[in-house]
Amino acid sequence: MLRGLFSRKKQQQEVTLLAPLTGEVVALTEVPDPVFAQKVVGDGAAIIPTEGVLVSPLAGSVTHLFPTHHAIALTSESGLEILLHIGIDTVKLKGEGFTPHVKAGDQVKPGDKLISFDLDVLQKAGCPIVTPVVITNGDLVAEKKVVSTGSVRAGQEPLMQVIVKGGAS
Amino acid sequence: MIRFDVHVTAAGGLHARPAALLVNNAGQFQSKVTVIKDQKKADGKSILGIMTLGASLGDWLTFEIEGADEEQAAAALKELFDKQFES
Repeated sequence: MLRGLFSRKKQQQEVTLLAPLTGEVVALTEVPDPVFAQKVVGDGAAIIPTEGVLVSPLAGSVTHLFPTHHAIALTSESGLEILLHIGIDTVKLKGEGFTPHVKAGDQVKPGDKLISFDLDVLQKAGCPIVTPVVITNGDLVAEKKVVSTGSVRAGQEPLMQVIVKGGAS
Repeated sequence: MIRFDVHVTAAGGLHARPAALLVNNAGQFQSKVTVIKDQKKADGKSILGIMTLGASLGDWLTFEIEGADEEQAAAALKELFDKQFES
């Protein structure tokens, strides 16, 4: 019924990713892990958190919650796949210090709480707390820019603006 | 088509880093790469697809590689597992 209306708009779609953490925005190249810094996982940005609450940057669904709860993957309504990886080498904590609030398959809204984590546990274990926020299916991205620098508040300020290519689905 | 099984020996399984390395390797070849764990299939060129398989330490994965450069792709991917993702 509404197909005709929507198909015209299918060309390109602009998606805003809100900051998923409160903290300091840094370039992905500053992340002390080559797979993130060299953008092997995908392009994006990173945040050094000052508070241990990860929220959803956009509307979408939880595609994958790692069994160790240190990372989560979301898929936006426009098909964008986002990986939020709390800290570096945090897989070795085996879930200690992480409390998930969602599970795979859940629908989330921008600002919804995804995972709480204890910054002290990460730091005592020697894990860098810098958290990459990356788009893992960059082939869908027509254009993107990181719109924040300096400090951001979780779920309240935009981190990235992305234009998704049309005809993705 | 080439089909082979690998044993996941990386501590923590195929979490973000090994998944990224796997996809990065697979992406260098034209062949279609499919990774299978317990009937679940994932595109070997999709990071999220691989991570979603949830392959843990000790799991067995089946690779199916099909295309013009399938032999080279199979060799590269086997080597990745042999070296436990350490380059």
